[in-house]
Order: sequence, then structure tokens, then C-alpha cells
Amino acid sequence: MKLSALSRSFDGGRTWFAAPAAILIAAVFVIPLATVVLQSFFRTRLTLDGYQLILSSTLFWRVLSTTLEITIQATILSVLLGYPLALFLSQLSQRRRALVLILVLLPFWTSILVKSFAFIVLLGEQGVLKTLLRSLFGIELGVPLVFSRVGVMVGMVHFLVPFTVFPILNNLLNQPPELRRAALVMGAKRWQLFFKVTLPLSLPAVAAAAIMSAVLSIGVFVTPALLGGRRDTMVANLIDYYTREVLDWNAAAALSILLLLVAGGLIWAVSRIDRSSRM
Amino acid sequence: MSETISWPLKITACLVLFFLVVPSFVVVPMSFSDSREMMFPPRGFSLMLYREYFAGPEWIAATLESTVVAAGAMILSVVAGVPAAYAIVRSRFPGIHLVRAMVMMPMLVPTVVSALGLYLYFARVGISGTTSAIILGHAIHNLPFVVLVVIAGMRQMNVNIEIAAQVLGASRMRTFFSVVLPPLMPSIVAAALFSFLLSFDEVVIAWFLTSPRALTLPIKMYSSIQWEVSPVLAAISTLLTLLSLVVCVVSLLLRKGEIST
Repeated sequence: MKLSALSRSFDGGRTWFAAPAAILIAAVFVIPLATVVLQSFFRTRLTLDGYQLILSSTLFWRVLSTTLEITIQATILSVLLGYPLALFLSQLSQRRRALVLILVLLPFWTSILVKSFAFIVLLGEQGVLKTLLRSLFGIELGVPLVFSRVGVMVGMVHFLVPFTVFPILNNLLNQPPELRRAALVMGAKRWQLFFKVTLPLSLPAVAAAAIMSAVLSIGVFVTPALLGGRRDTMVANLIDYYTREVLDWNAAAALSILLLLVAGGLIWAVSRIDRSSRM
Repeated sequence: MSETISWPLKITACLVLFFLVVPSFVVVPMSFSDSREMMFPPRGFSLMLYREYFAGPEWIAATLESTVVAAGAMILSVVAGVPAAYAIVRSRFPGIHLVRAMVMMPMLVPTVVSALGLYLYFARVGISGTTSAIILGHAIHNLPFVVLVVIAGMRQMNVNIEIAAQVLGASRMRTFFSVVLPPLMPSIVAAALFSFLLSFDEVVIAWFLTSPRALTLPIKMYSSIQWEVSPVLAAISTLLTLLSLVVCVVSLLLRKGEIST
């Protein structure tokens, strides 16, 4: 038997190694999701009442527009902050990059509760920032920095920036260095090099990073609950509200399906960008 | 590369980095404060808040609960995830793409949706509010991360060694355990650490599945931040940051060879 034939003959058998994961996924992920789908159509009998209730409530539309607003603002801000950081990282030596990446990864692995608590301590009325401004410059900031939209935005952007850094950094590192060298040899200035070569080549990664942040922020639960005010409730919090306060599982499920559809659409978009940008 | 990094870029990047790390470090000085008032910089130095944490039976119970949950979720997700990663990398069965997509799904579906699903489903099965329910929920939540880390490690390995083992008569199982697993250990340990940490810090799934019998540390912290913002949180946050730092550094060291970015 030839080696290639042999290797093919046991290829199929290796699929069975996925069996434990498949069982786990089926039992604890697929069935629960199916339960949500069923529940969204079921209120003592099969019905569309859940969807009707959600779509006709002003609360839902208000929360949805808040959610979209926060998602869009947070996405734009995180890309704007993540891009320069990725560009900086891409120009470091490999050794230094690994060290700085620890700093980028640390917030990524820090509990969202630690971060929320820290921001309350930093930005609260008696917090670090306001105290410093007061005692050093005598400035009194009138705007509340936590339990407000500003607080949500700070928390969200902090959570999202690492997710934007990685795809953009990956793209920057994979750009063929000959293009940059060619541009420099032809006399391009630094800013020309950036705006005519580096930036355009990185746009697919920027789009992917933006959509990824949108997917992540649209379902966010903890940040608006802890750093936001009453008016910063997002869809995830509304699902929780219907589940535990109103005890209307049907409406909660319908709301979840709507959220899932929006997130699914965004993921579909990112997979298309991924495919078209592959060189 | 011969170019130097321009100053505006350096300054911007450092400001962003400062923003990223500042919350992790602001909690450290606060945790050594000697008063229950939260002020910065704290006036005196004491271990009062740490004493309060270690002497508080509720906090310790929640920490133990989280440890049990994280250990359980870690074991389940590694036992299921490592062989799945092997199948995904090595199998050429056409349906493997479907398997791969299924395994990654929990990462893409908004956590609140899967949490609601688990809540409704476990209520029906009758295990809601138990430690096992949270373990199962977290195992699924961590599975994609474990698989991704192990796949990255497996891509470094030479398939010919496995073929050689099989040519020499090793069974599929024997090949997996004696040839594939040993060189993969660093990645598996890194994946296990990630999984433990993810579960130890997880809020949303635990929030939907919790009960007074199964109260994890993040849930206790969540309620505490929501209702009173207790200063003990500074001590707990410092300990959690330390845990994250250790996991982050250890896993980077373990995966040194394979990280290209």
C-alpha cells in the first residue's frame, strides 16, 4: 500500500475523535438553542404573540435603538484606538512585540467585573480622576463619568480594543514588505506610504475588526448593567428583565431570537470579508 | 526594518496601552487601604481588606464554588476539545467542516442567548440551580477557545511521525495517546489554564444558572458592585488580576514557539 493511500485510509477514522465534543455540543448547546426557538413560538399554545408583544412595545424599540447606538459608537472608537496600537506593534521587533502584547492581552484576560469595579473607582464622583482634577487644577467636571453613557462607552471600548488590535496587526504583519520598500525607493514620504499603501491594504482587516466588535458589543450584558445609567439598558439586559422580573419566557425567547438574527447577519458579513480579503 | 517609529504614533500607542492596563493596576493600591472609604491615593497601608475577604465565609464559599466550577469546566472542555482539535486538523472527512463550525458556534452566539437556552432547558430537565448545571454551561462556553489553542499547537506538528507510527502498527488510539499528545502538552496546558480562567471569571451564564446553592465568585461580585460597591472588591480584584497575569505569562511562555503575531 502506498503511503498516501494509507494516510487517506485512516483519515476518516480520525473524525471519531470529535465525538465527545459533538455529544457535548448537541446536549448542552444545540438542544438549549432549540428550546429557545420553540419557547419563542410557545405561550400555552403555538403562537406569534411573543414576537408581537416585543415588536409592539415601545420599551423594545427604545432599548434596540440604544443598543445600536452604543454598538456603533463603541465600534468606531475601538477601531480608532486599536489601529494605531496595531500599527505601533507591527513596527516593533519580534521580541519587544511579544512583551507589549502581554499588556494588550492582560485586559483581555482580566475579569469584566474587576474592570468595571476599577472604572467605578477611577471615574466615580469621589473617584481618582475627578479628585485629581479637583485638587490639581480646581476643575469640577459636571458630567457623570460612570452610571452614564460615558461610563458604558469607556467600559465597552476597553473590552473591544484587544479584539480590534489582533486582526489589524495580523494584516499589517502580512503585508508584503516589498511594497513598502518600493514606495520608499520611489521617494514616498512617510505619510504617503501610510495613506497610499499601508492603510488601503489594511481596510479589509479594519472592516473585519469593526464587524467583530459590533458582534461582541451587540450582546453585551455586564457593562451597561454596571457602568450605565437607567437609560443605557441594552437588549441583553432586556432579555434578563423579561426572564427574571416579568417571568415572560416567551417574550424573552422571542427577543433572543431577534438578537441572534442580527448577530448572525453580522457574522455572515464578516465571513464574506474574510473570504474576499484572502490573498 | 530600518525605519524608526514616528513620535505621534508612539505617543498615541502608549496612551492606548495606558488606557488598557490602568484598570488592572488602579485596584492594587486601593486594596491596601486602611479605611473603608474608597479614596485614591489611599491614606494608610493595611491588609484590612484582605483580612475581610479571607475572614468572610460568604466570599470564601463563593471562591470555592468558582474553583469547583472552573475545574469541572476545564476538565470537560479539555477532554472534549483536544480530540476534537485533532479530528479537525487531521481528518479529511468532508463533514469535518460542519463539525468545526459546530464547535466554534458557542463563541459566535451572543452569550446571553445561550445562557437563556441553558436556563430554559435545565429548568425542564430539573438540574437548574446546581453546580453541575454551571459546569456544563461553562464547558460549552470554553470549548471553542480550547479547540482554537490546541489547533494552533497541532499545526506545528509533523504528520509524518503519526503516519510512521501507524505504519509500524500502532492503533489509532495508541497513535493519539503516545505520538500526538506528548509533544502537544504545552498547548494543552495553556488551553486548560485559559479554560479555567474563563470559567472562573464568567458572569452571564452563571447569572442565569445561579441559585443560593450555587453562587460563584463573579455573581457575588456582580451583586456587590450593583448594590453597595464594597471596598473588599479591591482586594478580590487585585487577587484576580494576579491570577490573570500568571495565566497570561505562563501561557505565553508555553506557546512561545507558535505565536507568529
